[in-house]
Formats: sequence, C-alpha cells, structure tokens
Amino acid sequence: MKHITKVYGSLYANNDVHLTLDKGEILAVVGENGAGKSTLMKILYGLEQPTSGKIYLNGQLQHFRSPHDAINQKIGMVQQHFMLLNPCTVAENIVYGREPRKGLFFDREEAVRVTEALCEKYGLHIDPRRLVGDCPVGLQQRVEILKVLYQDADIIIFDEPSAVLTPQEVNELLRTMRKLAEMGKSIIIITHKLHEVMAVADRVMVMRLGRYIQEMAKTETSIEEMSYLMVGRRIVERQVPPRKPTGRVLEVQDLVLAGSEAKNILDHFSIHVDGGEIVGIAGVSGNGQSELIQCLTGLLQPTSGKVMLKGQDVAGKSVGDIRTAGCACIPEDRYLWGCAARASLTETAIMAHQRSSKISRNGLLNNKGARDFTQSLLDGYDVRNSGQTQKAGELSGGNIQKLIVAREIEQHSPLLIAAEPTRGVDIGAMEFIHNKLLEKREQGDAVLLISSELTEIMSLSDRIYVIYEGRAVGEFRKADATEEDLGILMMGGKLNEAVS
Amino acid sequence: MKQSHNAKNFGPRLWRSLRQPLIAVAFGLLVGALVILACGQNPIAVYIEMFNKSFFTPYYLFSTLTRATPIIICAMATGMAWRAGYINIGVEGQMVTGTFVATVCALFIPGPPILAGLLAWIAGMIAGALYALLPAVLTWKFQVSMVITSLMLNYVANYITSYFVTYPLKDTAGDGLALQTPEIHELMRLPRLSTTSTFNAGFLIAVAVMLFMVFITKRTVFGYESKMGGFNPSFARYGGTKQVKVMIITMALSGAIASIAGTAEVFGLKYRYADGMLSSTSYAWTGLMAALIADLNPVGMFFVSIFLSGLQIGGSAIQRSLGIPLEIATIIQCCITLFVSVKLIFKVRQKKPVREDVKEGGAQA
Repeated sequence: MKHITKVYGSLYANNDVHLTLDKGEILAVVGENGAGKSTLMKILYGLEQPTSGKIYLNGQLQHFRSPHDAINQKIGMVQQHFMLLNPCTVAENIVYGREPRKGLFFDREEAVRVTEALCEKYGLHIDPRRLVGDCPVGLQQRVEILKVLYQDADIIIFDEPSAVLTPQEVNELLRTMRKLAEMGKSIIIITHKLHEVMAVADRVMVMRLGRYIQEMAKTETSIEEMSYLMVGRRIVERQVPPRKPTGRVLEVQDLVLAGSEAKNILDHFSIHVDGGEIVGIAGVSGNGQSELIQCLTGLLQPTSGKVMLKGQDVAGKSVGDIRTAGCACIPEDRYLWGCAARASLTETAIMAHQRSSKISRNGLLNNKGARDFTQSLLDGYDVRNSGQTQKAGELSGGNIQKLIVAREIEQHSPLLIAAEPTRGVDIGAMEFIHNKLLEKREQGDAVLLISSELTEIMSLSDRIYVIYEGRAVGEFRKADATEEDLGILMMGGKLNEAVS
Repeated sequence: MKQSHNAKNFGPRLWRSLRQPLIAVAFGLLVGALVILACGQNPIAVYIEMFNKSFFTPYYLFSTLTRATPIIICAMATGMAWRAGYINIGVEGQMVTGTFVATVCALFIPGPPILAGLLAWIAGMIAGALYALLPAVLTWKFQVSMVITSLMLNYVANYITSYFVTYPLKDTAGDGLALQTPEIHELMRLPRLSTTSTFNAGFLIAVAVMLFMVFITKRTVFGYESKMGGFNPSFARYGGTKQVKVMIITMALSGAIASIAGTAEVFGLKYRYADGMLSSTSYAWTGLMAALIADLNPVGMFFVSIFLSGLQIGGSAIQRSLGIPLEIATIIQCCITLFVSVKLIFKVRQKKPVREDVKEGGAQA
C-alpha cells in the first residue's frame, strides 16, 4: 500500500501511509486508538475507499470497492466483533456465503465434511455441529478464523483479536497465528498490546495520528521503544502508595439474580469494599458482571440478598435512591448507558447532577450553572471538544469516556463503580483515567473496578475477586495475585491451595 | 484531530438546522408546480396568487393565523410527547375529548359565565390529559405499543362524541338538522382581535402555549430529563430519572395541550361543538406534520404551522379564483413532509461512522 490518504471531513485518518507485507510474515500494526490503524485495514479490506493512494498485490494494482473484491483477491479479516450467526452451527457459519449445494439445496453434510477437512488441515479443532451461540468466545474467534481460511485467504487481518480473550485463550491464539504464518499465510495484526507484539510478530509498524511513524524488526525493538513511538512521550511506571482503609463502604451479601433458566445469573455473590481501596473484579465477560453492576446501581432488581452501602440496605431500591445513598458508576458501555449520541456535552455532563443545587433549584434549571459546571469538567479532565453544543456522539471514544469519568467522579460519592473504565480508549486517556481512580482512592473513597482487562485489574487493585458464572470464586491480595492463578479461576478451574 | 470541523459557531449551526426544511419546501413547491403545469396553468402566477391570498393581504393573513391557532397547539402537543420518545399520535382524540368536555361544561355549569368558562377550560384540559394517560398506562403496565393504542383511541373519541351531538346534546333550535351542540354563553367567548375577520384571542393562547413549551424544554429539570429519555432511555434510567413519572407527566401535558387546541377553536371561533369539526379539518395531522418538519423545535413548529395553514388558505383561494383544485395545497404539504423525512436517511448515513467508532473504539471525530 503506497501513499494511502483517507480524509473524513477535515480529519486526516490516514496521511500518506505505506505498508508492505511479505509472504509468511506476521506484521503488527500498533498505535493508539484513533491512530488510523483500523482505517488503514478497512481500506485494505475494501470497506473504505482511500481518498488517494494505491494498493498493489503481488505487483498488481488493485481497486477494492467492497470486501467482496478483497476476498476474491484472497484477503480475509477476522473482525474484532464477530460476525457470526449464533443460532446456527459452526459448519453453517463457516460456509456461509459460499455454501456447498446439492442441486438447489444447501448440502449440510458436505458443509460438515468441508469444515472437518479445514480443521484437520490447519490443526484448529472444533465440533462442526455445535451451535456457535454455545461456544465460548475463544472458540467463536476460531470459527471466524476458519471462515476466513475457508474463503482461501492468503492475507489475514486480525483486528484487536485479543480484546475479548482470557490469557490462556490469548496464548492459544498467538500459537495459531504462528502456525498459520509457517504454512505460508501472511498476517497483519492490529493491536495496542505490546507484549503480544513481542510474542508473535516479525515486524512492527507504528502509527500515530494517522501517520506512518516507523517500522522495525521485532528483534531490534523493545516494548519501551514502541510505546514511546506510539504515544510520542515516555509513560512513567506508576507508583502506588499503600492503601489506608477507612472502614466498610460496600458489603454485598448472598446476592442472587435468578435467570430465565434454572441457573442463577448471580449466585450467592458476596464481596466487600472498604474506603480507601480499589477492589477489582476479574472475569471473562458474560459471567454476570453486567448484571452485578445493574443490581448494585438499581437498574435491575436482585432476586434476594443484601447490598449494604454505608450501612444501609439498598438492594432493590431505585437508581436515584442508590445514587443519593452514595454510589456513582462509570458504566461498562458508554454508548448504551453513559451518554446519548444526540445530546450536547452540557446535557451529557449534568446527568445525575441535574438536581444538585449548582444545576437547578425547585425543578428550574440554572443554565449558566450547568455550563460552568460542564466547562470545569471539560477543562479539568482534558476533554477535547469544539464547544459545549457539540454532540456527545461526535466526540472520540476516549474523550467521551473522560467526560463520563469526570461526571461520575465529581459526584464525590463514597463508592464509585468503575466498569471497563478504559475499554477502547488510547494509552494517554487510559493513564489519565487510572490516575483519577487512584486519586479517588487517596481521598478515602471506595472504588469497585470491574474489568475484563486483566492487566488493568492487576495494576490498580488492592484486592481482587474473580467472578465465574455469577459466583465470586476467589479473593486475592494484590501481592498474592498472579496472572496464571486468576486466569485458571476465570476459566472455571480450581487452584490447589485455598487462597482466601 | 479531535476538533470537529462543524458546530464551531452559530451561523453554520443555524444553517444546518434550517437546511433540511428549506430544501424540503423548495422541492415541495417544485412538485406542486409540476401539478399546476399539468392543470394547464402558469405555476409562478398561481404561486403569487396563492401567497398573496394567504400571507400578503391583511384579511387573508388573519384567516391564516386563525386557522394556524389549533394547528400550532396540536404541534406543541405532539412535540411534547415525541421529544420524550413517546410517539403519541392520538392528539386528535385527546383534543376531541378535551374540547367536548369543555363545551359540555360551558353549557351546563351554573353560575357566572366567566367563572364557568374558566372551569370549562380546566375540565377540558383534565379530560384531555386523562385520555392521553390511557395509552401511557397501557404502555407502562402491559408494554402495549403506544403508537397503536393512541391512534385507535382517536376513533373511539370521535365516535363517542359523535353519538352525544347526534342524540342527547343536539341543538334542537333552528332547523335542528346540524349535528352540533347549542352555542356557549356570549361572555365566555374569546375576544376578536380584528374587526373585519374572525381572528381572535385564541392565537395569543397559541403563542402562550409555545412560550410554555420553550420554558419546559429549556429551563426545567423535567424538560431535560424527558429529552434525555427521548434520546436514550437507558442513559436517562442510568442517571436516576424516574421514567414512569416522566412518562405520566409528559403524556398528561401532551393531552392537556391537545385539549386547548380544540377548546380555543370552540371558544374563539365556532362557539359550539359540531360533529367532526376537529377531525375533518385535520388539525392534529397538520400539527403532526409541522412537528416533524420543525424537528420538534417549539419556535420552528410555531412558524411551520403558520406556513402550512397559509398553504391551506391560499389553496382554497386559488380554487375559487383560478379553478386549481384545493388538493394542490395538500400535495405540497405532504411533499414537504416527505422530503423532510429524507433527513432521517441522512441521519442514518451520518450515524454510520459513529457506529464504526463504537466498534473500533476509535477516535474519528
């Protein structure tokens, strides 16, 4: 790819970027979110057309008008968010789009046979007759990979492939990638997890702000150098002072949320959080974290159990009452819960503050107070914006997240629930948000951190619980926690020695 | 790269919000021109005649504003509910119910006419609000689609009032053929604002309703919470707003405002309730179109309502003078609404990058 430039409005998403890929090579494209990696890959996969620039494949000039063109040229992409049909079987998903036929009809047996042959060829084992919806995330990703292989791709693009996986699954994935490269496939992996780059890539290309910065062989670089190139400045290793607990803030006792089937979504879940500490909840997403957050914040009614917040049982109370009792929450999905795309920044910033004396009196809004308050959040939390009338949906992911974090921290509540506080934000914003959480802890407040990002949990938490199928299955002090032990518990395994 | 290029200052933003309706009006008039050509007339001459006889001569301007009165108020009633995400298309039924109750109260409440008249207005608003709460409660308790219930309740209201003016409350004075109630007391009637036409104080009530709407949307916590609920109910819920309460208040206000629309028509213009007087004139639906065209902005709805009623007045004028069918106005009106709806498609297209943003967690502004 030569001189690739892509302009959205006045924004250069890609500015004169070059990319080369050799056969059998693994190239890692690294950069912060918004650096233009995804855009570049979308251009290569035909999802976007470049404003200018050319793509050559084996010396031939190509014009990809749609992914269909790219697939015909043997380019495949494993999406970050799987494009799978959950109610269908593995085999049906893999052959979808190029189904084997028997006359006019779909040949299901042939599909299964093809899938088995494919699994055999690449050593990726999976039961072709299983429903995709029943497969764990790691296997679903494997289906995605097999789908791309079925389309006979020689170039495979992986978009943030490890975002949803456990450490064990990540290792498995990295092994698969190496194996595919050895079989002659060329692989591009987009990521911002640098230890994965070091583990698997042959060559690294760094992008920043839409520009090509540098590329180097993996053997000639280090994690420090890459992160310096990505961010444009050095990231300082964080020093966390020891915790000073200030008494119980949250105690969850035997919380149960019945599911639609026999199994409970939350099953006698018990934890506690003290003031002045950050407590992490580690787990593979989909093990009851979302429901836990919703029960704690009042969005869902738990079936039974107690949620003691500052000594007051708030289980089953309304969201407003729980917020008044002293709970703020950075929601896990910022676009679903955290904002409304069409709301202005002012409207986004005053949510849950709208009845405070700064913003309103007797139900009447103080518009100047609201604007001043919003401006203080925008300035204090470095939210890049073009004025308060800008729409929340127009901010970048990192900036809207910073605004939401600002809004919730400024509640000055004794308890802050931080759910996936840095999902999909760049390193700069991540560092900023982490510092704000630690500041909150320094002030003696309690922080409950729920994240599927294990490194985030490990680096911030004073204590760590693991959640598996709605139960708290392990409790660690920071010093005792290892990635391996947490990973085993997250997958439903057992540890030999009792930890808690 | 984080700076968005638009929304930087007021001018472009004003243009952005006006662009769509203006283009739609231009296209609507263009389609109308084609139809006029098909009738064998000169579109420019017809349009000049049409606008002269709706906006640019005092008598017709007063007619336009008189007709606009219920349309403006219906638009506000629609906007009140829609901006909170409650698709109330039962404004007509709420208006009919409220107006009928107000008229009956005005006819039968004893005592000084001014006081009785005031009570009649209030009773009408309460009736309209209760009638709007019917679909709201059905939605809340049984998750029934409000679109369907509120629409169906229009027919219920129309037929029930139709029964009452046909039998028990029919005015038997005169020839006794018209399906209508007797006239209300003279002291209850709204004063005329012009000596030469029927233009009356109802228009001032419409202005007041608009100002009330602006106040609610811009200055109250309720307005903020209902707007956020309309944008993203999950966001509002997460922020601790009491959504059932917001829905009940929203729908009650919507119904009460709807009742004012028809009551102003009875007390200011007709002085009696006649069968079909509010439904055959399509006030509620024209108001709904105005609300759509103005994207629920109160001031915008006010002016669009006046524009649409001008089209209707001008349309009937050219029918009389040039023999162009009145339906030309309806055609233009519907084309404008149609072309404004194209906005929805634009919006979907604009949303796409945002969606991808979510997917990548990326930072494209």
